Amino acid sequence: MIRAIKLILLFARVSVQNIAAYRFEMIMRSIMSVLHLGAELVGVWTIFKNTQSLQGWGVPHMLVLVGVYRIIAGGIRMSIVPNMRRVFDDIRDGTLDFVLLKPVNSQFLVSIREFIVWRIADVILGAAVAVVGCVMLLGRVPPGPAAVFVVMLAAGFAIVYAVWLILATLCFWFVRIQNIEMIFWNVFEAGRFPIVIYRPWVQWVLTFIVPLAFITTFPAGVLFGDSTMVPRATPLLAVLVAVVLLVISNRFWRFGLRHYSGASG
Amino acid sequence: MMRVLRAFAAYHRAGVQTMFQYRAEIVLWAIWGLVNPAVLYAMWSSAAESNPDHTAAGFSRGEFAAYYFVLMIVGHLAAAWDAYEMGYLIRTGQLSSLLLRPLLPIWKAIADNLSYKVATLLFVVPMWFVFAWVVRPEFKAAWWQLGLGAVALVFGAILNFMLGYLVSLVAFWATKLDAMGEVYFGLGMFLGGRFAPLEALPRPVYWIAACLPFRWMFAFPSELLMGRTATVAEAVAGLAIQAAWILGVIAAFKVCWAVALKHYTAVSG
Repeated sequence: MIRAIKLILLFARVSVQNIAAYRFEMIMRSIMSVLHLGAELVGVWTIFKNTQSLQGWGVPHMLVLVGVYRIIAGGIRMSIVPNMRRVFDDIRDGTLDFVLLKPVNSQFLVSIREFIVWRIADVILGAAVAVVGCVMLLGRVPPGPAAVFVVMLAAGFAIVYAVWLILATLCFWFVRIQNIEMIFWNVFEAGRFPIVIYRPWVQWVLTFIVPLAFITTFPAGVLFGDSTMVPRATPLLAVLVAVVLLVISNRFWRFGLRHYSGASG
Repeated sequence: MMRVLRAFAAYHRAGVQTMFQYRAEIVLWAIWGLVNPAVLYAMWSSAAESNPDHTAAGFSRGEFAAYYFVLMIVGHLAAAWDAYEMGYLIRTGQLSSLLLRPLLPIWKAIADNLSYKVATLLFVVPMWFVFAWVVRPEFKAAWWQLGLGAVALVFGAILNFMLGYLVSLVAFWATKLDAMGEVYFGLGMFLGGRFAPLEALPRPVYWIAACLPFRWMFAFPSELLMGRTATVAEAVAGLAIQAAWILGVIAAFKVCWAVALKHYTAVSG
C-alpha cells in the first residue's frame, strides 16, 4: 500500500516537472479552463432566461450540476485520459512489454503513469461553482450530504475509470480504433443536464444500462438532499455499481492481457 | 482551371477512399453531431413544457423538434475542423510536403471536408430519420423556404469552412495554440444558435451574435429551412449578408495566406 502511494507520488512529481517546462502553455490552459466554465455559466443563464425550471431544477440546482460536470470532466482529463491514451499507443506499438516487465501490478501501473496537472484548475473551479449553487439553495453546505456527495463523486469517478479501462482493453483486439474514446464523450455529453429532461425510457437506459445518472445527476441531487429528485438508496447503489464495474473491468483487462502478444519485434 | 479541377477531383477521390478506410473512426465523430442536438432538443423541450404556456423563447416543443432536426443536418453538412488541424500539420512538418504540390493546401482541405460528408451520409441520413420519427417535428416550411434554405445551407458551409481556415492561419505564428480551435468551435456553438435558438439568448449575447458571422453559418439556414423566416425579402437579405461575409473572409484569407507563407519556417524534415 505504502509502495503504491509512493509510486503515485513519484509519477505525479514527474508530471509536475514536465509541465513546469511549459509555463506559458500552462497559463493559456488555465485561461481556457476559466473560459470553459464561463461558457457553461452563459448556458445556464440562457436556459433560465427562458424558463423558471427544468422539470423542477432551478438555477442553484443547475449550478451544482455544472460544478459536478466540471469536476468529473476535469478529473477524467487529468488522470484517466492521458493514461488510457498511453495504453492505446502501447498496445499498438508493442511497448506495453515495458509495463509488463515491471514488478508492479500492470493495471495499477498503466493507470498512474501520467497526470495532466493543470486540469486540476477544472476540478477546483467546478467545486467552487457547486458550493455556490449549494449555498444559494440552502444557505450553507450541510456536512452530512456533503460527505455523501464526496462518496458519490468517488463512485462516479470509479465508474468512469472502469468504463475507460474496458474501452482501452478492447484495443487488444481492435488495434486500430484510437478514436474509441469518442464513444465515451458522446455518451457523457448527455450528462450535462439532469436526466429528468429525457423521456422515461431514456432515463431508464441512462441509469441501468449506461450508468451515466450515477456520474453527474445523482451526486448533484444528493448534495441538495432533495429526495424527490434522487431516491434514498442511490448512494448505496452507486457504490455497488462502481464495485461491480471495477471488478468486471479488472477481469476484462486480465483476459485481454492474455491476448497480447507484443506487436514489436 | 481544368487542371485545378482535375487535381481537385483526384484529391476528392483519394479523400473518400481514405475516409472509407477509417469508417469506424469517422462514424464516431459523426455521432457527436447527432447526440449534441438531440440532448439540446431534450433540454429545450422540457424547458418549454415547464413553462405555463408550454413555449420557451417563442418555440413550442414541436418547433424545438423542427429546429434541432434541421440544425442536426445543417451542423453536419456545414462542419469544418481546420481550425484544429493546422497547428498539427505545421508541427509535424506535413504542411511542407503539401506546399510542394502545385495546388494550394486549402484545396486538399476542401476535398477532405467534402469526402467526410459524403462518406458519412450512409450513416447519418438514417439517423436523421430516426430522430425525426421519435421527436415529431412541426414543420411549416413552404417550397420557397426549402429552396432558399438549401442555398443558405451551402453558403453557411462555405462560410464556416473559410472562416475556420482563416483562423487556423494563426498557427503559423503560434504552433502550439491548440486552444484556438476550441474557442472557434465554442463561439459557433453559442453565437451560431446551436446551443439555443438566437431568440433565446440573453440580450447582450444576442447583440454580440448579431455582429459576428457565426449566426449566418447555422442559425440562419436552420430558421429558413424550418419555415421561421417569414418573408422572401428577409431570406434574400440574409443570403446577401452571407455572401458578403464569404467574400470578405476570402479576401482576408488571400492577404493573410501570403503573409503567413512568408513567415513560414518548416518544423522537422
